[in-house]
Amino acid sequence: MSLDQKQKIIIALATFFFITLIIVAWVEGGRRRVVKAPDAVVTSENKDCVDCHRVKSPGIVGQWEISTHAKSGIGCVQCHAAEEGDVDGYEHEGRLIATVVSPKDCAQCHEREAAEFQASHHASAGQILGSLDNVLAEVVEGFVEFDAQGNKIKASPAAVSGCLQCHGAEIKVLENGKLDPATWPNTGIGRLNPDGSRGSCSACHLRHNFSRAQARAPENCGRCHLGPDHPQKEIYEESKHGIAFAANRSRFEPMMEEKEWIPGKHFEQGPTCSVCHMGATKNLPITHDVGERISWTLRPPVSEKIDAAAIKAGKRVKSWQDRRKDMQEVCSSCHATEWVKNWYEQFDAAVNLYNEKFGKPATELFQMARKEGLLTPTQFDEELEFTYFYLWHHEGRRARHGAAMMGPDYTQWHGFYEIAERFYMEFVPQLREILAEARRHGKAAAAARIEARLNQILASDLHKWFLGRMSPGELAARKKAAEEFKKRYAQ
Amino acid sequence: MIPIGSALVRANDWLRERFPIDQQVLISMGSEPVPGHLKRWWWCLGGTPAYLFIIQAVTGVLLTFYYVPTPDQAYESVAAITNEVRFGWYIRSLHKWSANFMIVAVLLHMMRVFFTGAYRRPREGNWMLGVLLLLLTLGFGFTGYSLVYEQLSFWGATVAANILQSIPFVGPDLADFLRGGPTVGSNMLTRLFVFHIGALPTLMIVVLLGHLLLMRTHGVSPLGSPSGPDAKRFPFIPDHLFTEIAVALFLMFILTFLAIVFPAGLGPKADPLVTPEHIKPEWYFFWAFRWLKLMPEQAAVATQGLFIALIFFWPLIDARIRKRNPDSEASIWVGVGAVAFLLTLTVWEALYLLH
Repeated sequence: MSLDQKQKIIIALATFFFITLIIVAWVEGGRRRVVKAPDAVVTSENKDCVDCHRVKSPGIVGQWEISTHAKSGIGCVQCHAAEEGDVDGYEHEGRLIATVVSPKDCAQCHEREAAEFQASHHASAGQILGSLDNVLAEVVEGFVEFDAQGNKIKASPAAVSGCLQCHGAEIKVLENGKLDPATWPNTGIGRLNPDGSRGSCSACHLRHNFSRAQARAPENCGRCHLGPDHPQKEIYEESKHGIAFAANRSRFEPMMEEKEWIPGKHFEQGPTCSVCHMGATKNLPITHDVGERISWTLRPPVSEKIDAAAIKAGKRVKSWQDRRKDMQEVCSSCHATEWVKNWYEQFDAAVNLYNEKFGKPATELFQMARKEGLLTPTQFDEELEFTYFYLWHHEGRRARHGAAMMGPDYTQWHGFYEIAERFYMEFVPQLREILAEARRHGKAAAAARIEARLNQILASDLHKWFLGRMSPGELAARKKAAEEFKKRYAQ
Repeated sequence: MIPIGSALVRANDWLRERFPIDQQVLISMGSEPVPGHLKRWWWCLGGTPAYLFIIQAVTGVLLTFYYVPTPDQAYESVAAITNEVRFGWYIRSLHKWSANFMIVAVLLHMMRVFFTGAYRRPREGNWMLGVLLLLLTLGFGFTGYSLVYEQLSFWGATVAANILQSIPFVGPDLADFLRGGPTVGSNMLTRLFVFHIGALPTLMIVVLLGHLLLMRTHGVSPLGSPSGPDAKRFPFIPDHLFTEIAVALFLMFILTFLAIVFPAGLGPKADPLVTPEHIKPEWYFFWAFRWLKLMPEQAAVATQGLFIALIFFWPLIDARIRKRNPDSEASIWVGVGAVAFLLTLTVWEALYLLH
C-alpha cells in the first residue's frame, strides 16, 4: 500500500473517531440530565414551573428532583397552589399560588403527621409574645415601634433574625399582597401562617428535598436547641448516645434515608434526638408530637411534671406516667429494664435537687421582692432580675437538661456548679443589698419579712453549710476524705 | 526586529548546546529499514498492546483522581465516576475495553510470534520477556477488576487469594501478602490498588523497555525466504509509522464505539457476608476457573503453574527438540493444542455461566 493510500485511511479513521467523540459528548450531555433527576416525574401542570425555575433558581429544582415527592410526581403546584380568597394567594404566571406552604397544605397528604404536630408544644412555639425572652429581644436588646393604638409599626431586628427564626413569626401579608419582610422569610417551628394554621414543617424537613436522613440528623434539632440556655445539641454530643452516633455515622447515613429507622432493628447504637423523642420502636409508632415521651418540663424556673399545667387548667392530656412509659419503651430497645428504672431515679433526683435547693427558693424570694415593691415593675432594669434569669433560664436548664440527656459536664460544671455560684455569690448578696436599701427607704417591714424567709432557707439542711452549720458527723467525714485526697496526690 | 528564520536557528542552536544529542542519529534510527512483511496490516500486533497500554495509563491516571481505595468508599467512588463525574463513564469504559483489547492483542501477538517461530534463537530471551508481559497484563486485569469492589469482583479476589493459599510451601505466605493479613479486608484492597497503579506499571515499563531494546538490537525477525516479501525493505518513518497511526486511530474509534454502545456497568456492591450464587472471574481467567473445577485444587494449581512454565521455557524446549530433529514441526502441534485447550476450557466455562 502506498503512503498516499495510508494517509487517506488515516484521514478516514480520524474522521470516524471524531464522529464517535461527538456522540460521546452528546451522550454525556444526556447522561448529566438523567443523573441529576433520575426519577423525577414532571407532570404537565408542574412543567412550566420546573422549566422556568430550573433557569431562575436551579437550586430549588435540584432539591426537588432528588426528593421522594418528585418520584411520585408531587411538584410545585400541589404544595403552592392557593385557593380563591386565600389572604396570601397571588397571581403568578397565570396561576393562583401562595409562597408560604403551611402544615395545612402538607396535611393534604400527611394528615396524621400534621395532626400530631398541631397537638405538640412545637406548634405553639410562636406564641412567645408575653415571655421574658420576648421582652429581652423586643425591649432590652432591641426596639419596637408602636403607633398610638398599640399596633406594631416596626419589629425588633433582634427578634426577627433571632427568636422568631426558631419560634416562628406571625406571617403578615401587606396591603400590596406581598409578604411583610419583618415576618418572612421565616421557617420557625411555631410560625403563625396566613391560613390560620400553626407551624412550619420545613423547620425540620428542609425544603425542597425533604430528606429523612437530614431530618433525623442531630444537627437538624441543633438549629434551635443549642446555646447557653438550652444546649441540648451540645449535651447530646457529650453523651454516649452522641459519641456512638458520631462513631458510626458514616455506616448509618445511607440507611437513615429509609422509611423505617428503628433502634434495635435497623441500628444497634447511637440514637439521634428524633429516634428517642419521635421515632418508631418495635412497639411504638412514629410521632410528630415531640412531647409525647417527655415526663418533666425542664424549661420553667421550677420544673414540674409535663401534664401539671394542663391538669391545673382542667384539661385532659396524656399523663406524665404514660409518656415516661413510652420513653422507657424506647430506652428498652438498647437498655435493660433495671438500668432504665435506675437511670430515671438518677434523673428525677437531679431535677428535684435543682427544684428544692435553688429553683423554688430563688423564685420564692424573687417574687416576694417584687410583691413587696422592692423591685420596680419594669423587667430587666435591675441586676437581681438578670441574676435570677441566669440562674433558672441558663444554668438551671443546663443542669436539668444535662441530667436528662446524660451529659455529665453540663449537669455539673455548666450546670449545678454555676447555679450554686450564682445563688450564693450573686443572688443572695444582691438580695441582701436590696433589703438594706429598702430599710434606708422606709420599707423595713417588707425587708424584714423577706430577710426572715431568706434566713430560714439558708438555715435549712440544703443550705446550712453556707452559714457554717454543717453537722459534726459530716464535718468529720469530709475532713477525713479531704486528707485522703491530699495524700493520694501528695499535696 | 529579528527575522523569524534567524530566531528559529538561534533557538535550535540554544537547544542543541544544552541537549547535545546528534539529531542525525535520531533521524537514522527512525528511518532504519524494516522488513517488507511489516507492510502487512496484521503485522502490527506488537505495537498494538503498547498503544493500548498508553491508553490504559492515561485513563487510569484520570480514574485515580476520583477513585477511593477503601472498602467503604471504593464502590461508591466507582459509581460516582460512572454516574456523576463529567465523562467519567467514557473514561472508565475506555479503560475497561482497552484492558480487554490489550489481553487479546498480547495473546494474538504471542500466537503470531509462536507460529512464525520468531521466538527461536537468538530471540529466546525476548520471548520470555513477552511471557512476563502477558502475566503482568493478566495481573493488571485481576487487580483492576477487584478494585471496582462489586460483589463479583470482591468474591473473585477472595477466591484468587484462596487459590494462592493452596500453592505448596509458599502459598499461605503469598496469600497473606496479597490479603495483608489472614483474612480479606481493607488491607487487600489497598494492596491491590498499590499493585495496580504502582508496582505493576513500574514492572511493565521496565520489562517493556527490555523487550523493545532486544527487539531493536536483534532487529525485526525475518519472515519466509530471503526472496519473499522481505526482499524489499522500507524505512520505519514514515511508512510503518503511518500504519501504526492508522491502527491507533482505528482502536480509538472502536473503543469509543464500544464505550458508547456497551459502557462499563456496575453490579451490586461487595458484601463480605453474602457469598454470591455464582462467582465469576473475567473472561480471560475462565480457562483457569474451569480447570480448577475439574480436579482437586492443589493439582489444578500445580498443573497451571507447569503450563505457564512450559510457555515460558518453550524456546529452550523447542531448541532441544529441533536439535534432535531439525525438521520437527512439534511446535506447531503444541501451539495448536495449547490454543485449542485454552479455547475449549474458556468456551466451556462461558457456556456454563450462560446457563
